[in-house]
Amino acid sequence: MIKVIQPGLQTTVQDYGRIGYYEVGMPPSGAMDKYSFTAANVLVGNEENAAALEITYMGPVLEFQQDAVIALTGGEIPPKVNGELVPMWETLAVKAGDQLSFDFVKQGARVYLAVAGGIDVPLIMGSRSTYTLCGIGGLEGRPLQAGDELKIGSAAKQRVKIGTRIQEDLIPVFSKTNEIRVVVGLCSYRLTEESKERFFSLDWTVTAEANRVGYRFKGERLSFVEREQPFGAGSNPSNVVDLGYPIGSIQVPDGVEPIALLNDAVTGGGYATICTIISADLNKMAQVKTNEKVRFVAVDIETALQARKEYAYKLAQIKQQLQLL
Amino acid sequence: MTRYEYGGDEFIFVELSESMSLEVNFQAMAITKQLREERLPGILDICPSNASYMVRFQPEEIHPDKLISKLKELEQSVSVDDFDISSRIVDVPILFDDPWTNEALMRFRDRHQDPSSTDLEYAARVNGFDSKEELIQAITDYPYLVSMIGFVPGLPWCYQMVPREQQIEVPKYVRPRTYTPERAFGFGGAFAVIYPVQGAGGYQLFGVAAAPIYQKEQRLYDFKDSMTFPRQGDIFRYRSITMEEFQAIEKQVEDGTFRYLTREITFKPRQVLENPKAFSDEVLGGLYA
Amino acid sequence: MSDQKNKVLSPIPGVFYRKPAPDKEVFIHEGAAVKAGDVIGLVEVMKNFYEIKAESDGVLESFLVNEEDILDAGQEIAVISAR
Repeated sequence: MIKVIQPGLQTTVQDYGRIGYYEVGMPPSGAMDKYSFTAANVLVGNEENAAALEITYMGPVLEFQQDAVIALTGGEIPPKVNGELVPMWETLAVKAGDQLSFDFVKQGARVYLAVAGGIDVPLIMGSRSTYTLCGIGGLEGRPLQAGDELKIGSAAKQRVKIGTRIQEDLIPVFSKTNEIRVVVGLCSYRLTEESKERFFSLDWTVTAEANRVGYRFKGERLSFVEREQPFGAGSNPSNVVDLGYPIGSIQVPDGVEPIALLNDAVTGGGYATICTIISADLNKMAQVKTNEKVRFVAVDIETALQARKEYAYKLAQIKQQLQLL
Repeated sequence: MTRYEYGGDEFIFVELSESMSLEVNFQAMAITKQLREERLPGILDICPSNASYMVRFQPEEIHPDKLISKLKELEQSVSVDDFDISSRIVDVPILFDDPWTNEALMRFRDRHQDPSSTDLEYAARVNGFDSKEELIQAITDYPYLVSMIGFVPGLPWCYQMVPREQQIEVPKYVRPRTYTPERAFGFGGAFAVIYPVQGAGGYQLFGVAAAPIYQKEQRLYDFKDSMTFPRQGDIFRYRSITMEEFQAIEKQVEDGTFRYLTREITFKPRQVLENPKAFSDEVLGGLYA
Repeated sequence: MSDQKNKVLSPIPGVFYRKPAPDKEVFIHEGAAVKAGDVIGLVEVMKNFYEIKAESDGVLESFLVNEEDILDAGQEIAVISAR
């Protein structure tokens, strides 16, 4: 068992996500930064899809009630065991009675805590991920609260030596200014040429409305091409006949503030979408926090697929490195 | 002209038409049904939408351009004329102009086109009805095709099966509300919806559904296979009920005995397109027989 | 009398508020006495409001940020001087 002394700002149980139910309006949920999430599971010898804790901005205080093997990855929210700083991206042993706490966030936004055996919560539609809007998955469908107790599963598939560390060049570095690559398309024809140009030349600031559902950005107002609205779309020029939203797609309701839709987002609606964040950069997006800057960079589909291959190669390297130790 | 668009490296978005119609929705339904039957490798989700559809795939299994070629072939080969829809016709009881939804919508008047009236009064006026009662009559006279599911789990977009000139159309809120009660019945663009769970929303609010369309505990009979009740292709008949009936249904939901009145139905899109009124009379006759 | 000054930091990024609600008075005025544990402001992020508390007794000498400023994590919010 792991006892929650303080829950942190928003700490949830997440695995790879709830895949295959998009058509009924169920978003995937799941870890926002899948690279760090997967690395954490690999470091403790878990199946890649084992449930871990996703910690956002401010860490919880947790008390282990049994000996456990853990790993912390992701953004830098310096972890401490019994008040002593411990390294991230490394296999650690904790003893029954040990307390895990965190300093203020230094870089990035989200930390993953994997425990050998995984966090044991019920599978809902094939996933243990928390989806708070509908109150399903994770621990009672909600973020952790003080007094919660988390069961540790028995799903570890191999033992990893304590002190095993991800090699330095495979550990991401996070910045306060970020380039996020997108593929332009969907309903981008709705934006004026000038606004399209502005969208890619501005440094957008992440607002306080930036969570698992989506990130909202502040910059300047964008305009849509004037037209007589098609039947059924609604009257605002940013409206379209309600359609499906890809994960990572960006829309600009009324032209006011762009919103990137992420893991817990709505699956469809009536706003024109203009581009989609490439899958490899969703991990990076998840580590950007409020008041940091984002510049969107348009890439073609082949570049997106290449980035995806490079991402898969990095994960393969992590696995290979750990097996060699 | 159909547009095939990349939604990043995991989605293809296909817009069959910019405007909504029954024809285009049937076409999206027919193509996605055929795509599902072909069981291509690497397809994760097939999401038919109102005038478009979307496919989620794994590019390691199928290159997006190859998938697009396949979808273009389907657009050519699939016809709504030789396609049967097997679904359900469902009686969906709605309490219009109810106190809870009214309380909610009055809190957001500053986000509305017409802060001085209610959503029902406003929608009646912009659609040329003399009263909200006439609008309610028009909403409940003819059934709706469930043309898309999404936004949140189980939310049905419903498009009324009447000729274009009879369609009700309303703007969405100027700025979306931050709160919508669970089971609220709303209308936006040309679509009626029921909000399955409490949350944000931008549709005009007209009433509240008596029974749930999403139930995570899956206690009621209609939810034994799925947390979500509506399915694309269903035909929903919204029926105006009294407070008395509303409370009786709520009690049945509470004690677990409520079941939607439904009939299995198989029909051809052509039947609807050629004579929506005759089709509507026939299915409603069957439902309440 | 010591002139030790303690800075209050925001542990999270977000929007800073000195008032509990738009139509309410500020939690504390500059120059007022403060006790460890007193709430001096709120930081809103991800639709959560996080209470910023004084960590020491003293006088709240000054705020270093304005109402509705967007803060970085770790940003200095106020100075408390020990009495």
